[in-house]
Amino acid sequence: MIPITIDGREVEIEEGKTILDGARQLGIDIPTLCYLERCGPMTSCLVCVVKLRFNGRTSVVPSCGMKAVAGMVVESETPEVHDLRRSALELLLSDHVGDCLSPCVRICPLGLNIPQMLRQVQLGRPEEAAATVRAALALPAVLGRMCHRPCENGCRRTACDSAAAIREVERFVADTNQSRAEPYLAPRKPATGKRVAVVGAGPTGLAAAYELMRNGHACVVWDRAETPGGSLRREVEAGRLEPAVLEAEIRDLKRMGIEFRSGILVGRDIPMTSLLAEFDAVFLAAGEMTAADGEALGVTMTVAGVKIVRADAFLTSVERVFSAGSAVRPVKQLVKAMAEGQMAAEAIGEFLAGHDPRKAPKPFSSVMGRLEKPELHLFRAGASPEPRVTPKSGGGVGFDPSEAAHESARCLHCDCRAAGDCRLQHYSQVYGAEFGRFPRQRRAFEQHRHPGRVLFEPGKCILCGICVKIASESAEPLGLTFVGRGFEVRVAAPLDETFERGLQVVAAECAEACPTGAIEVAAPTDAFWGCSNHGHGCR
Amino acid sequence: MSADPLILQFVDETVDRLGSTKDAVIPILQALQEHYRYLPEPALRRVCERSQITPAQIWGIATFYDQFRHKPVGKHIVHVCHGTACHVTGADRVEESLRRHLGIQAGEDTDPEGQFTIEPVACLGCCTLAPVVKLDQVTKGMVETEHVPTVIREFLEAHAQGMDAGGSTEHPAGEGGEVTGPEIRVGLGSCCMAKGSDRLFDELHSAARLVGVSVNVKRVGCVGMCHRTPLVEIVQPGQASRFYAAVKPNEARQLVLENFRPPSLWRRVARTAARAVDRVLLEQDDSPTTRCVVDMKAGPAQAFLGRQVHIASEHFGHLDPLDLEEYLRHDGFAGLRRCLVEFPADRVIEEITKSGLRGRGGAGFPTGPKWKMVQGTANDTKYVICNGDEGDPGAFMDRMLLESFPFRIIEGLAISALATGATEGIFYIRREYPLAVKRVQAAIDLLVKRGWLGDRLLGTPHPFRVQIKEGAGAFVCGEETALIASIEGRRGMPRLRPPFPAESGLWGRPTLINNVETLACVPWILRKGGEAFAAIGTKLSKGTKVFALAGKVVRGGLIEVPMGTTIREIVDEIGGGVPAGRRLKAVQIGGPSGGCVPARLADTSVDYESLREVGAIMGSGGLVVLDDTDCMVDIARYFLRFTQDQSCGKCTFCRVGTRRMLDLLELICAGKGRPEHLGELEKLAQSVGQGSLCGLGKTAPNPIVTTLRYFRDEYEAHLQGRCPSGKCAALVHYHINDRCTGCTLCAQQCPVDAIPFRAYERHEIRQELCTKCDTCRRVCPYGAVEVR
Repeated sequence: MIPITIDGREVEIEEGKTILDGARQLGIDIPTLCYLERCGPMTSCLVCVVKLRFNGRTSVVPSCGMKAVAGMVVESETPEVHDLRRSALELLLSDHVGDCLSPCVRICPLGLNIPQMLRQVQLGRPEEAAATVRAALALPAVLGRMCHRPCENGCRRTACDSAAAIREVERFVADTNQSRAEPYLAPRKPATGKRVAVVGAGPTGLAAAYELMRNGHACVVWDRAETPGGSLRREVEAGRLEPAVLEAEIRDLKRMGIEFRSGILVGRDIPMTSLLAEFDAVFLAAGEMTAADGEALGVTMTVAGVKIVRADAFLTSVERVFSAGSAVRPVKQLVKAMAEGQMAAEAIGEFLAGHDPRKAPKPFSSVMGRLEKPELHLFRAGASPEPRVTPKSGGGVGFDPSEAAHESARCLHCDCRAAGDCRLQHYSQVYGAEFGRFPRQRRAFEQHRHPGRVLFEPGKCILCGICVKIASESAEPLGLTFVGRGFEVRVAAPLDETFERGLQVVAAECAEACPTGAIEVAAPTDAFWGCSNHGHGCR
Repeated sequence: MSADPLILQFVDETVDRLGSTKDAVIPILQALQEHYRYLPEPALRRVCERSQITPAQIWGIATFYDQFRHKPVGKHIVHVCHGTACHVTGADRVEESLRRHLGIQAGEDTDPEGQFTIEPVACLGCCTLAPVVKLDQVTKGMVETEHVPTVIREFLEAHAQGMDAGGSTEHPAGEGGEVTGPEIRVGLGSCCMAKGSDRLFDELHSAARLVGVSVNVKRVGCVGMCHRTPLVEIVQPGQASRFYAAVKPNEARQLVLENFRPPSLWRRVARTAARAVDRVLLEQDDSPTTRCVVDMKAGPAQAFLGRQVHIASEHFGHLDPLDLEEYLRHDGFAGLRRCLVEFPADRVIEEITKSGLRGRGGAGFPTGPKWKMVQGTANDTKYVICNGDEGDPGAFMDRMLLESFPFRIIEGLAISALATGATEGIFYIRREYPLAVKRVQAAIDLLVKRGWLGDRLLGTPHPFRVQIKEGAGAFVCGEETALIASIEGRRGMPRLRPPFPAESGLWGRPTLINNVETLACVPWILRKGGEAFAAIGTKLSKGTKVFALAGKVVRGGLIEVPMGTTIREIVDEIGGGVPAGRRLKAVQIGGPSGGCVPARLADTSVDYESLREVGAIMGSGGLVVLDDTDCMVDIARYFLRFTQDQSCGKCTFCRVGTRRMLDLLELICAGKGRPEHLGELEKLAQSVGQGSLCGLGKTAPNPIVTTLRYFRDEYEAHLQGRCPSGKCAALVHYHINDRCTGCTLCAQQCPVDAIPFRAYERHEIRQELCTKCDTCRRVCPYGAVEVR
């Protein structure tokens, strides 16, 4: 056994093992992209660097390849080392061509995974689509009618003809779900035993309550009105929203376990102190408030509304009391009001878990920006060429399943297949990597698929060398190689053969091992492959 | 794809000849390219069918090294050198001018008629003759934009007459004993040849024969004084040598006539007549005796040579590189013999350690301890490798040493083998140095023939076999582990050390790798003792260092000075300073891994520690002098262009980091830089320097770090849209001022017709057409073209 020190902690490592092994023994999560145990160290990504003091010398080394020698002193979780790792990630990102998340998802304040929903609808899987929708939206049927759909403004399809009808499809998913005997509800995490009082049953309060419930906290929603809905009641009264739709949404929230205490004005009918005594946290989302309302609740006010002392925590002047939405400052858009509730719930969740209350960071995404014509063409090749579908039966009813599928097939799927399963994305998020740190010219997006099921997007390749190695150790007749030198190095099949010819035997293995989404082997039914295989608009 | 049966036959023969194992891949590709002038794909497929080489391997290799081409090429190949010295003297302009003259479109490398293919090369190692181009086998120095049409025309004329094959200088060495009679010595290093030494050599031969004098016209190695080549030394028994500089081939006969008396009366009469005729024909009254004669004991030559101490280049200018007898007469192999009969291995290493010799390849690792490490490993096969992959643009010391003293380097390598217990020696030499390869191979052959290499080193029962492996064009292969990968037939990608090559090197065996110059010092040390070597130099840097002195300096050349000599002494005394009217700005030392030392630090002593302190490194010894017309941001950009291309592409910091630093420099040079870019450059430079896997990446930021440290004001000027040196094309404009007399020279020479003809009137440059090629400024006799 070899004794070394990592971050001041002694660890004994088996002979022949590396610093990385030692760190893992200690439970330190050193990020790695190019390291796979079965392939041995590639020492190419350099994201796993540590600072090493040994033999009177200090150096920065990749921990995956550096065998432990007795007496090594290693720094891993220090600002300096993190800075280097972040720089390595940022350098890789600076040459990373592809979006993790499509523009519509990045724009959606609630972060709905829109392309996934569209793929599910296209493939005729409404239950799965409902789950996707429910993972982000507290009031899907309402949003499916009333959202001002900023997502459609960002849709890349606009550059071809017109945006995908995202809201209309979302409404279809919500309505289809609602039409079932027992509509799908988002699963709840195991109960935490924590309880939160939400003051105000409008969009912000409901979104927060929904998020808190999903995360295993108990929620009681107080509202002065007899029926929950807050500002949405006004929409119903004005005839812009069918009452049944709102009622169904509330029903689902109740089914989920949210308790409603209606017709009670907190501060008048029940003092704030009682809430604070009974609940672990209080969330104020009672819509626009006067100074007097504030006084009654005991919170400091500004001209606009409740005073927030820490913006990223939604914390008011009173401990354990949080606030967001129009209670703080007027919020016009429904989806934004709900997003504030959702973010505040994340911060409250952190607080309930004993952490510093802080809203979750935005999910990391690499960003391609505007697509050039040839690039757009690549994406378009997989999508239905038909123009935007409008519901035959008119706006009152919405899409039928066929219309929804046809419209969904228009999606360009410009998100990444590997999003959520990509180590580059993951560590970029963890390390707070800045995607646009370096000014540069973006390379063109490329996609190789000829014509089988192996798909290669060289812009997403980080040249880790894992697939090259796997192929070289297999019975591949051609295999893969690094081509070129310097900044222009690429992974490709030799002799200008197609990528797929290079991987005739171990494609699935390579796709599995790929740390990013550069290599994928698609199932025949994958909507990503859309229609180039089976004809446009097909299932 | 059906392949031409002829292709397949040649491939089969090549594989049969060079072997079918994986490590044969580079020699096979080199043979194929020599045959087809590019690599036809069917040929590559055939190689894979006939050998253990896989498609992935061959394709990876064929796309990694600069040498390999994948498209058919034109009838002639024009190599444009982009070494540091060539860069600062206008290589970019020369290339642009060549492209325009040859009609090669942007993005293409061959003209539509398929006559010429243009190939930029990292460095031809003829830095003192910058800018340099090489047309097929003919190297041309000092090619300015306005010379391009003439250079091409002359080349084609010579080609038509079959005179473009180069001289006949590579005959085997003269057999027989010591020559005591008169000698004419001509330096025949490859850069001497670029200035016509080879033709002069031939002319002197025939002149001597014609005149009928008995004189030995002798090839010698590099003479060092590149600024005065072709240099001829006349040696007469009992007399001091006479030197003639910059002698032209057509002056050969006259030179012979001036110095040697023909034996017969008739010939003497003929001689007098010939001299008279020559005088008329050559229309010159200054004969080479008066025009070219150099006094080595005084004046500039004395200044150039006075400070020098020749150890690695001992007997420079005297020895025929391939005359073994002559080498032996000059103590050749005495050091090795001592190791064979007198010193045990430990004592050899002790002497080397005592000498304080450190690696001359760049990092300066102590040589003795390095040998000790290899000696200490137990293995029945060990390798010693001579690293002759001198890739730094702006450096050509190793080429000169290999070309001039092949026996000495072999001796040094053999000593290192004896000391470490190795029996196999390998020379890894850049393909760009064909003459070095030829001469080392010839020297090996001579020694093998004599029975001194092979199973019996110097006739003793110690086996030592030596072979040459040629590089294929990759700077990174100077790195030890990349060099090993290249010899093993892989892409030259470095790996993490440890394990060090001393433990696990070539084919997993203990391997010692030493630079050419390091090995060149070894025989001297063994002959004279480690202490004698340690007596020269500074406290921690012992002995001498060979430098290639080039750039904006009056007397460029190859010099060897004691460690501790100051930069000022080198530039001002040896080099004669910058050309008149210019001001020394900085000295670039160490190439892409080195840095720019500003003029105000010119008293810095040249030794490992002092140079590191000021941010440069010794490197392999390229020393490029920069004057006030050189833009330091442009210099940094030049090196980063080089490193981002030469990076093996493996690790993130180097592959992407060098490129992002270059991107920032490109923005700054284009006047699009923002203040925060300087901070980002500094930060990134630090990360790349710390995080990169091998020396290439770790040192790649040095040119940026030093220029930012010493010339930040120039960076800031660029941020404000000004290039103080007038170098950055995007930030300058050419104007014609009042001094114009309307001589129309500029209008005649302008390659893009941006200057309308206006005889006797002040000319004007049409900015929208101007390509800033600098031709007008260079040709204007009145200094009327200014850059603002």
